[in-house]
Amino acid sequence: MNAMAATLYFENFPVGRTFECGPYSVTREEIIEFAREFDPQPHHLDEDAAKHSMLGGLAASGWHVCAMTMKMFADHMIPLMAARGGSGSREARWMKPVRPGDVLRVEATVVDTKASRGRPDIGHVTFECRVFSQTELVAIVFMTPVIARQSAA
Amino acid sequence: MSTQYWEDVEIGSRRDLGSYTFTEDEIIRFARKYDPQPFHIDPEAAKQSIFGGLIASGWHTAAIWMKLAIAERANSAGKSPLLRAGVSPGYEDMRWLRPVRPGMTLRFSSEVCGKVELKSRPEMGIVLTRNEARDENGALVFVFTGKGFVQRRPR
Repeated sequence: MNAMAATLYFENFPVGRTFECGPYSVTREEIIEFAREFDPQPHHLDEDAAKHSMLGGLAASGWHVCAMTMKMFADHMIPLMAARGGSGSREARWMKPVRPGDVLRVEATVVDTKASRGRPDIGHVTFECRVFSQTELVAIVFMTPVIARQSAA
Repeated sequence: MSTQYWEDVEIGSRRDLGSYTFTEDEIIRFARKYDPQPFHIDPEAAKQSIFGGLIASGWHTAAIWMKLAIAERANSAGKSPLLRAGVSPGYEDMRWLRPVRPGMTLRFSSEVCGKVELKSRPEMGIVLTRNEARDENGALVFVFTGKGFVQRRPR
């Protein structure tokens, strides 16, 4: 992605602006594949063990939920904006289990913007990404991409 | 082997989770699936980015922290008391402070930094952990505050 293709700069993200990202279809195979590599706990790997856990059935790792949220955000937002990487994620709340067969989508709302003090060419834009399944809110993941400033372009 | 409940968890207790070396192949493989930005998936494009080369997705670093935390728990099973830990409601204050590049080896750790009672669920408590990754020179690369449900001692 080069700077010419980017259309949205730091100044184009006022607090309250919302973007819709997704969908993402969650499969049993992917839940297990991610968990085997990164989070091999019984409630992410095995249906029977998961039934007796706090989750009440097989569910995706919270880190997998964050990764899927990033994928939806990246697919939709990265082509639109002059992104320069990410500085962090101030919070995630894993509220409901994400199950095989769920179809996720994200509402990404700008909740905070901060021009960089040391670097006049960039700013930090914090998005609250509300992750919904087909029936309910399942997670909230905050993302803070660094975005180029139009005034410096 | 004895069981460790929320009451037994000591603030300040620290687990060294071991180290991990990131390879270019797995950085690209993870990012293609979950964070397909040019500086995570394309070594040539990454050279032109502000990072000056390929770097790992911050979510990849977080996932490796989890992988090492689970491995350490499995390794210490039978050697130390079994912690009655459940799932996590989330995390706070995750920061990606320095780029993680191919070939870098990070050392991960987890230290108990707080305990919270739950009025809504008296059978469970929350344990807060400060989790870190540092590079070969000891510089802080990655940090977040983790939260985990832990069973309370039956009363």
